[in-house]
Amino acid sequence: MAICSAHTTTSLHSPCTTVSNTGFRQKQVIFFTSNRRSGRRHGGARTFQVSCSVEKPVVIGLAADSGCGKSTFMRRLTSVFGGAAEPPKGGNPDSNTLISDTTTVICLDDYHSLDRTGRKEKGVTALDPRANNFDLMYEQVKAIKEGQTIEKPIYNHVTGLLDPPEVITPPKIFVIEGLHPMFDERVRDLLDFSIYLDISDDVKFAWKIQRDMAERGHSLESIKASIEARKPDFDAYIDPQKQYADAVIEVLPTQLIPDDNEGKVLRVKLIMKEGVKRFNPVYLFDEGSSITWVPCGRKLTCSYPGIKFAYGPDSYFGHEVSVLEMDGQFDRLDELIYVESHLSNLSTKFYGEVTQQMLKHADFPGSNNGTGLFQTIVGLKIRDLYEQIVAERAGAPAEAAKV
Amino acid sequence: MASTVASLSTPATFAAADVLPRKVVGRVWFPVARRSGGFAVSSSGPTTPPEISDKVSESIKKAEETCADEKGTGECAAAWDEVEELSAAASHARDKLKENNDPLENYCKENPETDECRTYDN
Repeated sequence: MAICSAHTTTSLHSPCTTVSNTGFRQKQVIFFTSNRRSGRRHGGARTFQVSCSVEKPVVIGLAADSGCGKSTFMRRLTSVFGGAAEPPKGGNPDSNTLISDTTTVICLDDYHSLDRTGRKEKGVTALDPRANNFDLMYEQVKAIKEGQTIEKPIYNHVTGLLDPPEVITPPKIFVIEGLHPMFDERVRDLLDFSIYLDISDDVKFAWKIQRDMAERGHSLESIKASIEARKPDFDAYIDPQKQYADAVIEVLPTQLIPDDNEGKVLRVKLIMKEGVKRFNPVYLFDEGSSITWVPCGRKLTCSYPGIKFAYGPDSYFGHEVSVLEMDGQFDRLDELIYVESHLSNLSTKFYGEVTQQMLKHADFPGSNNGTGLFQTIVGLKIRDLYEQIVAERAGAPAEAAKV
Repeated sequence: MASTVASLSTPATFAAADVLPRKVVGRVWFPVARRSGGFAVSSSGPTTPPEISDKVSESIKKAEETCADEKGTGECAAAWDEVEELSAAASHARDKLKENNDPLENYCKENPETDECRTYDN
C-alpha cells in the first residue's frame, strides 16, 4: 500500500510513490491536482503536510477497562480485516501500539499527563480525567483523521513512566482503545464508531481472580480491595461513557444456572443503537420484534446448560436500541453455524464467515460464548462501515471530476 | 480428571502435534471449549517474569499499608490502581511468554511459505 505522507517538506514535489495501476491511484491524482484536500499551508510553506494517499482513516473508539491493544477484542477485530496485529517493529519494546496491514490500535494510556509517581503524589487514579491530557489526545486523533503523521507519547506500563514518543502513520482503520475514548466531547465527535465493553461486577471479579490468583502476593482480599478502591472513580468517569457508545457489549452472569458463581457460563448482550449512520443492527428473525429463541431441540442437541437467545427493541439511556442477547455456550461447531444461519444483517461476505472467524481464534477467551460471538460480529460491522465510507469517498471525487 | 483450572497450553500443543500438515480447522476447538469454559487460565503455564512479579507484590504491600491508615482517600485509591495496573502488565507479560514458547510458531510467523508452515484453509 503506497502511502505518501511527506511531512515537514517545503517542496510540492514530495516523494509520492505510487505503486500499482489501481483505480485507487486515480483518486490520488484527482485529490492532488484539485488541491482541495491537501494539507494545511502555513505562512511561508514551511510546514507543509502533503498526504497524497487517501489514507484518511476511519476512527473507531473502544472503551475497556484494563488491557490495551493486546486484548482479545482487538485481536479479533484486526483479524476480521485480515492479518495479525503486531507491536511496531524496531521500536520501544514496551509500546502499547499494535499495527497490522490495515489497522493501527493505540492505547489511550499513552496520553497520561501524570506518570505513576505523579499520580501517587496527587492521590489520583489513572481513571481520573486529571491524569490524562485530553487536549493532546484530541489534537493527535484529529491529525491522524486528516491523514497526517503524529508523534505519540508512550506510557510504559511496566516502569510507570512516560517514554519518548513513537511515530504513527495514518492507517486505513485507526482504533483508539482505553479508558476514556468517549470522555472528551471533541474526541467523541471524531469517532466514526464507538464501542463500550461493559463487564458486570460479578464477572469482573471472577475474571480478575482467574487472572491474578496465580500471582504471588495476591489474595482474594487484595483483588477485592483493588476492585473496590477503583470503583468510585470508575463509576464517576468511565461508566457514563456507555451512553455515547454506538454498540455496548454487556457481560453478565448466566441465568441458565441457578446460583452460579463460577462465572464460566456468561450472558452477553449486544446493545446496538438505532439510527446510527452506516450501522445496521443485527437481528433475529424479524427486525423490531421481540424474540426469545432456544436453538436446542429436535434439530440441534446441546449439552448443559444449553443456549438461549433473545432479541428485541429497548431503550438505553434515552436512546432507541436493539438488543441481541446470548446466554450459554457453544460446545460444538454445528451449534455455532446453526446460530449464525438464523441471524440476519451480520454483514458477512459469505455464509459461515462468523463461524470461520471464531474458529480461527478458538484459543482466545470467549470463543465459545457470546463475548467472542459479539466481538466478531462488531468487527464485521466495522468492516462494513469502513467499506461504506470508502465507497462514499470514491463516489465524491468522481462526481467532482465529472464537473 | 483434569482440574477445572485447566492448562490452556496443553490441549493446543496436543492437537498441533497430532495433525500434519497444520490444519487450521478444528485444531483446538473442542478440548478448549469443554475444559476451561472459555477462560484462558493456565496454572501450569509460564510464570510472570520475576521483575514484574516483585513489583506486583511490593505494590500490594504498599497499598495495604496506605489503606490501613486512611481508607477511602485518593492515596488509597491510587495505590490500589497501581496494583491493578501492574497485575495487568504481569498478565500481559505471561501471555507474551506463552506466545513465544513454541519455536515452530515463532519460525512460521517469519516464514509462512516454508513446507512446515503451510496451512490449509479449506
